[in-house]
Amino acid sequence: MTKLPTSRVGVVLLAAGLLVYPLVFTGAFYHDVGVSFLLAAIAASAWNIVGGYAGQISVGHSMFFGIGAYTPLLFYTLFGWSPIAGIPVAIVLSLGLAALIGLPTLRLSGHYFSMATIAVAELIRLLVSTWSFVGAAIGLQGPASGRGWWDLTFRSELPYYYIFLAVLGLVLAVTAAFESRRFGYYVRAIKAGERAAKSLGVPVLQTKMQALALSAVFTSVAGSLYAVKTGFVDPGSGFGILVSVQMVIIAALGGAGTLYGPLLGALILIPLQTATNNWLGGGGSGLTFIIYGGIIVLIARFEPGGLMELWYRLRAKRWRKLDAAA
Amino acid sequence: MTRSSLWLAGAVAATVLGFAAPASAANPVRIGILWPLTGNAAAAGQASKAAVEVALDIINNPHPELANLPLAATGGLPNLGGAKIEITFVDHQGDPSTAQQLATRLVTQDKVHALMGAYQSSCSFTATAVAERHGVPFMVGESAALNITGRGFKWVFRGTPIASDYARTYMRFFAEMKGQGKKIESIAVVNENTDYGTSVSDAIEAEAKKSGVPVAIRIPYSASSTDVSAQVLQLKQRQPDVVIFISYTADAILYMKTMRNLDYRPPMVIGDDTGFSDPSFVPAVSDVAQGAMNRSAWDIGKPGSTTAKINEMYKAKTGRDLDDTSARNMQSFFALAEAIDRAGSTDPEKIRDALTKTDLKAEQLMMGYQGVKFDNTGQNVLAATYLIQLQGKQYQLVWPEATANAKLQWPMTGWTP
Repeated sequence: MTKLPTSRVGVVLLAAGLLVYPLVFTGAFYHDVGVSFLLAAIAASAWNIVGGYAGQISVGHSMFFGIGAYTPLLFYTLFGWSPIAGIPVAIVLSLGLAALIGLPTLRLSGHYFSMATIAVAELIRLLVSTWSFVGAAIGLQGPASGRGWWDLTFRSELPYYYIFLAVLGLVLAVTAAFESRRFGYYVRAIKAGERAAKSLGVPVLQTKMQALALSAVFTSVAGSLYAVKTGFVDPGSGFGILVSVQMVIIAALGGAGTLYGPLLGALILIPLQTATNNWLGGGGSGLTFIIYGGIIVLIARFEPGGLMELWYRLRAKRWRKLDAAA
Repeated sequence: MTRSSLWLAGAVAATVLGFAAPASAANPVRIGILWPLTGNAAAAGQASKAAVEVALDIINNPHPELANLPLAATGGLPNLGGAKIEITFVDHQGDPSTAQQLATRLVTQDKVHALMGAYQSSCSFTATAVAERHGVPFMVGESAALNITGRGFKWVFRGTPIASDYARTYMRFFAEMKGQGKKIESIAVVNENTDYGTSVSDAIEAEAKKSGVPVAIRIPYSASSTDVSAQVLQLKQRQPDVVIFISYTADAILYMKTMRNLDYRPPMVIGDDTGFSDPSFVPAVSDVAQGAMNRSAWDIGKPGSTTAKINEMYKAKTGRDLDDTSARNMQSFFALAEAIDRAGSTDPEKIRDALTKTDLKAEQLMMGYQGVKFDNTGQNVLAATYLIQLQGKQYQLVWPEATANAKLQWPMTGWTP
């Protein structure tokens, strides 16, 4: 994999676009769509670390998302604490779970890791849906109206937008930082060929564990952000398999294993989801899902590497043309 | 990476340009309704949507033949100069986060004067929180979770009965039966073990304790069980006078058949709606569960009655009879419209005020409630339900006696002729 020339100008423009979006598109609904997009981008970028870069396809990342979502609301429900208090605890719990899951399952190869993650996530979902301490099938709620800023319960969507944007920036910065470091080369080597990487002295299990841990931390944070923003979580919205699948679809759509792939995937999928549901949802004809699913099918058929790959290819072609002209 | 990043930045703007701002008409009353119109619970959402569209026709157009219903005789809302009601339906797909987003859209973009929804309790939780933050009245048409009301919200009202209302109805029924000399000294509760079954049987146990007819045995089970003989044998051993089932469809049918196979016939079986109301229940068990009771707040009634006329309108639209869930949503919608009319304004504060003063009498309703009156948590305290009994190949309304169209058979005959 060749390192592509990065341009600070592009990054600055992207950042500026995201920063001014809420000022250009005013109104709580547009802000809410923006927030949903950012959340999806954070979760998919977090998944991308282990699923994209390291090539370990987890279809059970909802287990970390759910822990991230449940813990802050559980602390609020039990003790009336600010949801902020639960976020670090959720991170620690997610790390523990990542170790517990990773040590046995990361030794598996091929589809077995994916299957193991699905099984564990479903197990946790079933457990949570019958455990009344965590709200069982009904779920948990956050504060309806904030007692102060520390409850992170705002009437306006704007604070959420900028908090989420900052977290997305952090996730992308961490990902960009390891891309060009030893860890980044290790994970890509493992993805390209685990046995070959091992024979060259890459500490395979350790590297995979690190990738899973880093991914779990950010996924857990994404879950916490979801919970404070929505003020509610139940087994389906926290631990449901659709939560995991959405991360995979978004990352794959944009380009798994690329820095901006998940962001691009979320940028297309979330507005598409929202727009189709808003235009057609009220009719109740189910057309929403047909169009949404159709677009995913088209991309999977014609551009299975994700849209970032399409972009690289188009650009490479253009360069060759320029070279030929010169 | 200049171009790719640039393109990304541009796409942020481009992809959201499509959302059009909705046009606002002169002075209609706008109500936003959130339901699951696709997904798992789509059938319930679609049926309720059709029911509310019938209610909308009744309110917006003159229907003198339904004059006992408020707002039916006139076209539109008389206190608002005959203003029509406009509904914006949205589909939250059963996802609490989508429900939150759509509630935000309805309040801030569509500028609705009131909201209604949201069927699944999870979606009602998040959608009502939006209404509360923005100060818009929210009518919960039908959601089971107890604490949707009672969270200290000012703007949330619920027209439908909840588990404790059903439990109280059962107890009133038992008291009346005892007054008639029937022996009811112990009851058994058999419940499926998720959210629904657990909360209903908790409520029954609490009410039973108060009324002095203790729950002798409570049997939780998993609705996906393929064999319930152990549970039925437990019942057979304890010999309760009444068995209340809180079950989904397949398990309800399985219980009725297993009871026949093990030759166990209690004096009475009561099903708590859901499985017992499923269209496939009656054909599957009518030869073994004669006399089994069920609850429903909706009854089609005699030909020519208001409810029968409403049912005809619904049937003309959908080809089906109106069901209990949709009917309860429809009634909640009528109550909301009546309050808006009484408020004489679309000001949210005035609508809220009118809702708190709602006092509909039983004869002004299409449902078997004793009335509609909200307590300070927003819950309708006069909500109640009818009891129906499987006689032959269909359910007949048997209690309360004043409205009954068939005589209660006690004990149940089951499979015996």
